[in-house]
Amino acid sequence: MTRYRDAKAKAALLPLVVAAVLVLLWGSEGRAAPVGPSDPPQAELIRLGERMYREGILPSGDPMPAFIRGDVEVDSSAFSCSSCHLRAGLGSFEGGVVTPPTTGKRLYQPYRRPPSLDDIPDRAGRYIYAKTVVERPAYSRETLASAMRFGVDPANQLFNDVMPRYPLTDRDMTILIDYLEALSSQPSPGAASLEFSFATIVTDDVSPEDREALLGPLQSLIAQKNQQLALYNDFIKFGYTPTIEMKHAFRKASLDLWELKGPPQGWPAQLAAYYDRKPVFAVLGGISNGDWRPIHDFCEARRLPCLFPITDFPVVSETGWYTLYFNKGYFQEGEAVARYLNRLETLPAETSMLQIVQDAPEGEALAAGFQRAWSDLERPAVTTVTLKGSSLLDQESLGKLLAQYKPGVLLFWADARMLPNLPALIAQLPAPGMVFLSSGYLGKQSAAVPEPVRDRVYLSYPYRLTPFVGSRDGGFDAKVPILAGARDFGDRRIASRTTTMLRQATLRGLNLLYDNLYRDHLLDVMSMQMDLTVRDYERFSFGPGQRYASKGCYIIQLGPGADPPLLPRSEWVVH
Amino acid sequence: MKIRFLISLALLLMLSSALLPAAPARAEVKKYQRTVERYHIPDVVLINQDGKKVRIAALLNSEQPVIVDFIYGTCTTICPVLSAGFVNLQRRLGPASRNVRLVSITIDPENDSPKILKDYLKRYRAQPGWDFLTGSRADIDAVMKAFNAYIPDKMSHYPINLIRVPKDGSWVRIFGLLSSREFLEEYQRVAPPAISGVKP
Repeated sequence: MTRYRDAKAKAALLPLVVAAVLVLLWGSEGRAAPVGPSDPPQAELIRLGERMYREGILPSGDPMPAFIRGDVEVDSSAFSCSSCHLRAGLGSFEGGVVTPPTTGKRLYQPYRRPPSLDDIPDRAGRYIYAKTVVERPAYSRETLASAMRFGVDPANQLFNDVMPRYPLTDRDMTILIDYLEALSSQPSPGAASLEFSFATIVTDDVSPEDREALLGPLQSLIAQKNQQLALYNDFIKFGYTPTIEMKHAFRKASLDLWELKGPPQGWPAQLAAYYDRKPVFAVLGGISNGDWRPIHDFCEARRLPCLFPITDFPVVSETGWYTLYFNKGYFQEGEAVARYLNRLETLPAETSMLQIVQDAPEGEALAAGFQRAWSDLERPAVTTVTLKGSSLLDQESLGKLLAQYKPGVLLFWADARMLPNLPALIAQLPAPGMVFLSSGYLGKQSAAVPEPVRDRVYLSYPYRLTPFVGSRDGGFDAKVPILAGARDFGDRRIASRTTTMLRQATLRGLNLLYDNLYRDHLLDVMSMQMDLTVRDYERFSFGPGQRYASKGCYIIQLGPGADPPLLPRSEWVVH
Repeated sequence: MKIRFLISLALLLMLSSALLPAAPARAEVKKYQRTVERYHIPDVVLINQDGKKVRIAALLNSEQPVIVDFIYGTCTTICPVLSAGFVNLQRRLGPASRNVRLVSITIDPENDSPKILKDYLKRYRAQPGWDFLTGSRADIDAVMKAFNAYIPDKMSHYPINLIRVPKDGSWVRIFGLLSSREFLEEYQRVAPPAISGVKP
C-alpha cells in the first residue's frame, strides 16, 4: 500500500518535470565525480564497488535503485550487474539475450561486430527482443555514467530493455566505474597466452589404485592437449593462417601433482607452498577420503577454481564460489531420504522416527543432510542417537533403544558390519517398520542386505539408474547402453567421473575462454552451460551460483538374489 | 533520489523526440507479439513454494484471470524482468491484485526446491496471489508442451507471458517483454471490469 501511494506521489510530480529537470540534468547527468580526499582508501573503495557490482548494494548499505522497461521499478539486489554480466564482467548469453562485456578494458574500446541474420525477426515470426548493437564508439567515464543512468551508448543508441537504468549519485557512480576499470584487468595467475598450468590434489589416505584411477584420465588429457598443439603448429609451419578464434584454441598445458601429507591441519601450509612455487590457473579434479574443507577454504582464499574433486565430504554451502562439486556427497543422500519421507503419503503423520548415527564422518554427514532437509521441510526434529561402531554391533543395547523410542521409521547411518543384525532389529520395529540405509556408506556390501527383510529396507543411491548410451569411461564411443546394477555398489567411479568432468564440462569451459584468461570467467562460462547427460548421474545441471552439478539421489529397494535388481522407489529428484 | 531520477528520465524521453531524432528508433518498434490461443492443460500435480501439492489444471482453470510464466531461481537476464513485471502488476493493482492469480513455473526443477522458490518470491517482495511451482521434470515438460512453450534446456529459454481470459478460457500469449504499463493494459483487456482494478 505504501508503495502504491509512492507511485501516486511520483505521478503527481510529473507536471513539475520541465522546470526541475533542467537543473538535475545539468547537475548530475553524465558525470562521475572524483573521489574526495576524505574517502576511504582505494582498496576499500574497490570493495564497495565490488559489492555494488555483485550484490546491488550501495556504499551506504541500501539496495541500488533500478528501473527496467522504462517504468518497471526493481530492487537491484535481484538485478545486480553480475547477475547478467557475470562475476568476471565478460558478459553472458542466456535466454536469447546477449549481455556484452562490462569491464573497463572492453568498454573503453570501440565495439563492432558483423551484421547477423538474427538482426531481423526470425522465421517463426518471433520478435528478436535481444541483440547487441552492430557497433558503438569507445566509452569514456562520462558516457559510461550516462549509459548506466539513462540506457544510451555513446552513439545515442538505446540499450536493450533488460538492462536496468541506475539512478546513482556521482560519488556512487565513481566507485562503480572505478571497479569496472579494475575488473578483469589482469590475466589470472597460471595462464598465459600460450600456456595453461593446472594442478590436481591427492591426499595420502588414498589407495594407489584410486590415485591411478584419477591420474590416468588427467594425464591423458594433458598429453592430448599438447599433441593437438603440436599438430596445430605443424599446420602453421605449412602455411595455415589461423582465424582469431583458432589462435586461442590451442595452448600448451601442464599438470602438477599436489600431494598432501599428514593431518588436514597441515594441508593449508602445504597447499600454499605448492601454489607459491608455481601458481596454477585451476585445480582439475583431485581426490581425498576425508573432509574436503581445508582444500575448499584454500581455493576460496586464493580465488582458485577447483573443478569436480572426488570427495564424499564436500563443503555444503550456499556461498562457496570456487569449487564445483559433482554433488553434496553423503549429505545429499541424507537430504534425499528426508524428502522421500516427507512425500510418502502412506506414512502416518504421527509415525515415530529414530536416527541412529555411527560416530564417523560418514554417519555425521548423512545425519546432517537429513536434518537440514527435514528442518527446511518444517518437520519436527528427529531423535538422534550417535553410537560408536562397537555399540552398533551390540544387539542388546540397540534393542533397548528401539524399545524406548518405538520408531516406525529407523534411519540407520552405519557401515555394513551391522547388516547381519538387521533382521532382529527390524523385528522389533512397530509398523510400518521401515529402515533407511546409505548405499554409499554400505559400499560393496549394499547387496548383502538380508533377503528376508529387503521389503522393509530402503537405500539411498546417488547414481544413474536409467541406461547410459556410451562407454564405461564416460565417453561416447560405444553404442551398448550401460545399466548400473548391484555390482556397481561401492564403485567410486573415479575414472569415469573424472573423464566426465574433463571432457564434458571443463574442456568446454576452457575452449570458451578465448583470450579472456580469468579464473572467474572460467567459472562463469561453466556455470552457463546447458545441462549434460553423463555416465554416472541422470543429469548434470548448471546455473549462476549453482555449485553441485548432480542434484538427484534415488531411494531404491533391492530385488531378490545375490545380484539383486535395483528397484527405484522414488524419482531422481524429490521435492 | 528515485523521484529525481524519474524526473530526469521523463525529461530525457521528452527531449529525445525533439533533439535526438535518430537515436531511439527501436523504441517505436512493437516490442512483443500477441496472439490468442487455446490450450489443454494436463492434469499433473506440481509443488508450490510452501511445499504443498497443486493440481495445475484446477489452479489454472480458474474463474479469475490467471497469468503464467516460465522462469527459474538462478536465472539471469529475462527471468528477473518477467518477475519484475509480476511484482509491478501487483503493486499497480494494489488491493485489486488479489483478483489475479500469478503463476510462475520453474524450468530448472532439479535445482528449484520449494525453499529456493520461496526465497525467490521473498526477494521480489511478492504479494499473496503469486505462486512459484516446481515438480518432476516430466510433469513440468508436460505443462510446457501444453502451452507450446517447451524449453528443453533452461539456458535456451525465452520470455513468454500467458494470460487466461476468464470469460471463455482462451489464453493471450505474449512473446517478448512488456513495460509495466503494457502489462497492465494487457491484463485489463482480459479482466472483467469489476475486478480489473484500473488505476494506471
